[in-house]
Amino acid sequence: MPTYSRRSVLFGFGAAVGLASLPRHAFAALDGTPFTFLTDSEARSLALLCDTLIPQDDFPSASQSGVVDFIDLQLAGGYGRGEHLYMDGPHPQGTPEQGYQSPLRPAELWREGLAAMQTVIGPLDGQPQSALDRLMTDLSEDRPALVGRVGAKTFFTELHALTNQGYFADPIYGGNKGYAGWHMVGFPGAFGYFTDTVDAHNRPYRQPPMGIGHQPGTSDFNWER
Amino acid sequence: MARRLAKTDVVIIGAGWTGLTAAYELAHAGKRCVVLERGSYRHDADDFAAPKEHDELKYAVHHAHMINTRKETLTFRNNASQQALPMRRLGSFLPGVGLGGAGIHWNGQLWRPLPSDLEMRSHYENRYGADFIPDDLNVQDWGVTYDELEPHFDFYEKICGTSGTAGQMADGPREGGNPFEGPRSADYPNPPMRQPIGPTKFGEAAQKLGYHPFPMPAANATKEYTNPYGAKLHPCTYCGFCERFGCGYYAKADPIICVYDQIKSHENFEIRYQAQVLRVEKSEDGKTATGVTYLTDAGEEVFQPADMVCMNAYGLWNVHLMLVSGLGKPYDPKTRTGTVGRNYAYQTMAGVNVFFDDQVVTNPFMGAGALGTVIDDFNGDNFDHSDLGFLGGGYIACTQTNGRPINYQPTPEGTPAWGADWKRAVRENYLHHASLTVHGSSMATPDNYLDLDPTWKDAYGRPLLRMTFNFPENDRRMADYVMGKAHEIARNMENVKSTSASNRAAEGSDYSIVPYQTTHNTGGTVMGTDPTTSVVNRFGQMWDHHNVFVFGAGLFPQNLGYNPTGPLMGVAYWTLDHMKNDYIANPRPLMDA
Repeated sequence: MPTYSRRSVLFGFGAAVGLASLPRHAFAALDGTPFTFLTDSEARSLALLCDTLIPQDDFPSASQSGVVDFIDLQLAGGYGRGEHLYMDGPHPQGTPEQGYQSPLRPAELWREGLAAMQTVIGPLDGQPQSALDRLMTDLSEDRPALVGRVGAKTFFTELHALTNQGYFADPIYGGNKGYAGWHMVGFPGAFGYFTDTVDAHNRPYRQPPMGIGHQPGTSDFNWER
Repeated sequence: MARRLAKTDVVIIGAGWTGLTAAYELAHAGKRCVVLERGSYRHDADDFAAPKEHDELKYAVHHAHMINTRKETLTFRNNASQQALPMRRLGSFLPGVGLGGAGIHWNGQLWRPLPSDLEMRSHYENRYGADFIPDDLNVQDWGVTYDELEPHFDFYEKICGTSGTAGQMADGPREGGNPFEGPRSADYPNPPMRQPIGPTKFGEAAQKLGYHPFPMPAANATKEYTNPYGAKLHPCTYCGFCERFGCGYYAKADPIICVYDQIKSHENFEIRYQAQVLRVEKSEDGKTATGVTYLTDAGEEVFQPADMVCMNAYGLWNVHLMLVSGLGKPYDPKTRTGTVGRNYAYQTMAGVNVFFDDQVVTNPFMGAGALGTVIDDFNGDNFDHSDLGFLGGGYIACTQTNGRPINYQPTPEGTPAWGADWKRAVRENYLHHASLTVHGSSMATPDNYLDLDPTWKDAYGRPLLRMTFNFPENDRRMADYVMGKAHEIARNMENVKSTSASNRAAEGSDYSIVPYQTTHNTGGTVMGTDPTTSVVNRFGQMWDHHNVFVFGAGLFPQNLGYNPTGPLMGVAYWTLDHMKNDYIANPRPLMDA
């Protein structure tokens, strides 16, 4: 396995060794396509946060499998606009059992939340992984007081949920590139006809994954390690 | 002023299971039916076909088949000392919208109640003494018995092409079925589903411990089948996209293919889409309803007069419609009087995660909504409650419904929620896990109820429904006890590396509106024989307005340890039977108050 730093993956330096299949910006799977919602700087911060949640091992990290692209498209779309979110005020503080009560639509919440991260540990670029891990733990436990209108736990809940969705959702949404997430667990995808195999006990199912927009010949898993 | 339309015989609010069934039965009884559906037309053949339907993000995460909370939602609090806040996005339960309603995205777990469930207060008092039921539980009889409902349970099982193994037939018990069920007039119309390894191992362990495993009754067809209305069902493909999805294979029974297709061309049937019912209108003397006012998609208010009004919205929205229409007497928790919104109950869910060694390959993506093996030994009053300190129970099931990877990420206890260790645990356990579900009953209490919120409004300017709910102590104890039994079975399963149990109703944790639990909201419009404790009489007819008939799980006086669709459809057919054969010829209150 080649070794390379997280920075080299994120910023495309030194990507020649064993990483030929990766786009130049690993987090910008739609290489050369500008982000729809995120600024470049936000995308870089987000890649660091997502990769803290889903780091690279034998399988790609979140950003390497397109999760930042996924989140960008979600923020630009119905999720970001709060199309299924009741937004009428007032917005008093609730209990955890009462769920999302932010006055912000998700797109605003992410933008303010990403900016607020910097108030805790400064620019995320160049932070050691241990600092990012600590930041994530703090966010998940609602610890750091973030400047502005975004609660730490609220931001963590959305970040965690969408990172996970991007890694495992159908690739038509921009993440799960090369079916990385589905290969990792062994999920065969959107075509399911198991009448004759459901009770064939303990027989591994070996068909490669196929998604909704599957192109024949593209299901091979090209992750190089 | 609302534009007034020509009068119809029956106006039906909602095109889900009960609404379309009411239309089918009443249209064939010669009554002209107008169904008002707030959502859109959709059909299994066009709209639920794979692979496009098999989109976990769109349907399971973003709830594309369900209500949009921007238009209609409710506010929620755990107790009356809190301020209820809007349920801004869906979570704990998923009411539907559109043709077929929530009936298109159910799992198809199709149950009958136990005979004793329907006479709960009488049964417990007879068996354990008059003082057994504590004062803080509003336990009631349904006012209708198992024997009265049995033909209707049977008919609905046939409508759905239900797969299963009978346990109790008229001439005695059957091997391999549920020995605790009430006597059946007929076997299931289709043979049971094929069981994967996880449920099989659960059944073996349960049997060794002396329990009575059987295949879960499933509205997922196992053979080609034609139902009594003429609808054709096809065998299930075990694709793993049942709950939260429509079925494009015509294998999961739903109201569109099983009912709508067979009534849509009838001369007495009409359905209007994007028809948002705003309120039920009452006559001047208040004794009857005159029809309903609804909003068209063009934004016009229209009044549809009718001789009979059928309320077939999702249970919560029937309560809301009554409250905003002034139908019935709203429940007041301070005086404990009034009935509309009283006895709201839910479902008490617990479970055990089972992690196998590598010898067992579960292939969790080979699933179906009602695929699994169950024991009923700890449901209802199938076990001795004398010294347990609670009422009720639940079934324990090992189901294999899906392996959709955004939501299906089982990891052993102690695994962090993210990072390298989490990632490895997800990868290592995905193909080697089974889950045991404890599907527990929910008792009604004076403090859990539905009313109108004083602050927030829906998109039509009406106050939101307000839900006040927390798990009663009774149900916390029940879930803990039955979960212990489930855990015992899990520990006795073969090839098990580790197990972990969890109880949504654990001591010290409050009910949360956030994580999905079940779409089994019950009560609020309960049925009974006493107008001071029920909204409708034993025929589903409103005590206060005899031409208003109410359907759905809102009629349950307390919630069962079973999924509600079978029980509520049995009651629906019972109500329709009395409408067709008695009320229509002689409209009047069918019971004296």
